[in-house]
Amino acid sequence: MRPCIRTLLFCAGLSMLGGCVTATVDEQVYNAPTEGIGEDSVVILGRRHASDYETEPDFVSCVGDYIQSGDNSITVIDELEFLNAVYPWFEPRTAPLHPVDIERLLKQKPVAQKMAALRVEYMIWLDGSTERTGGSGSMTCSFGGCFGFGTWGHDANYEATIWDFTDKAEVGHVNTSATGQSYMPAVIVPIPIIAPVQGTACDGIGQQLLQFLSSKY
Amino acid sequence: MTSVNHQWATHLPLAALVFGLLVACGPARVVVEGQFPPPLIEPLPLTLGVWYSDDFAGHEFFDESKSRHESSWIVSTGAAQVQMWDTLLAGMFTRVVHLQTRPRPGQPIPNVDAVLIPHVAELQYAIPAHTSVKVYEIWMRYRFDLLDAGGGTIAEWGMTSYGKTPTAFLQSDQDAVNLAAVMALRDAGANFAANFNRVPAIAHWLREKDVPTATDTP
Repeated sequence: MRPCIRTLLFCAGLSMLGGCVTATVDEQVYNAPTEGIGEDSVVILGRRHASDYETEPDFVSCVGDYIQSGDNSITVIDELEFLNAVYPWFEPRTAPLHPVDIERLLKQKPVAQKMAALRVEYMIWLDGSTERTGGSGSMTCSFGGCFGFGTWGHDANYEATIWDFTDKAEVGHVNTSATGQSYMPAVIVPIPIIAPVQGTACDGIGQQLLQFLSSKY
Repeated sequence: MTSVNHQWATHLPLAALVFGLLVACGPARVVVEGQFPPPLIEPLPLTLGVWYSDDFAGHEFFDESKSRHESSWIVSTGAAQVQMWDTLLAGMFTRVVHLQTRPRPGQPIPNVDAVLIPHVAELQYAIPAHTSVKVYEIWMRYRFDLLDAGGGTIAEWGMTSYGKTPTAFLQSDQDAVNLAAVMALRDAGANFAANFNRVPAIAHWLREKDVPTATDTP
């Protein structure tokens, strides 16, 4: 094997290594559907009321993808598609904050008709974000390459609140937190070893939601 | 003649480089673009005239840099404003008419029940370079005039809107400001649609016209 190919393979192998991640999941569910959700659908929405952070849209779609890949009989409505379909009633300013607010929302005939057409049975609100928690180290780059070492942390905290759309009631909570440390050693070429913090949080919350929604788990 | 062309060909890359550097040194420019959904709402049985002034339809915000390390910003929202308000109003009223001339106070306006004149009174923005918060923000303040068919004032009121978007990997400042502006426009539409009937003077006028309103909207 030629040396350059060997070096490339070594670099690729190293970059596939992930940093260390620690995750905890806390679940509190009251009325899980015993037969799954059948023909009905579920919508997963990000809460965007806080002034200093936003629930990332890609985290919302990650959780939706996790549920659908775990049980493809579950219909998960895309967040933006849902927000556009029911505009302006689920924008940050107008979104219902409590399950009882759904009752008032459904008094509007077009909204009630749209919800019936979408067959929304469960509405899951995700609230939280992944933050960078500081870094250290130094790296110097020149024409000869980069030398040094850098490290930084990420902290993910998310909460999922499950609303039963038929009963207009909250039926569960799932909390997940994950922390991880990423590293970037550099000897000529910087090699990022990224801790999949947000991905781990997504898997943790997705797994619990899948168990709640699916009859297969 | 041939030598002149040859000279141009030689200087063209240099000219392109100088032009590129000049453009790179200019202000960051964002022409706001986005998709705005129609509102899911029972339309009011009214014909609404709407007048967009040149200031509104060509609305542009310029912020000069405060230091050599910052960039100046030009945020053009005019086209997106017109697109959003056209979509929103078409869903809120049974018929919408675009006026060709600015309505004057006291001058009758034929074939409409009312005329709406929106104004962008103020726009502010913040990017992570300005604040310690990792979100891009746009804040807008609107002023509205609603005239009756006789040119008299039904209501004058103000409204704010806010949009933000988180930082994202490989997202440029311009893309993020555009997304925040789209969110602010969506918020403006949501605020207007949810609260139009609640402006006291408008609620009174709708009652006088015997127009049913959903006052119990969330």
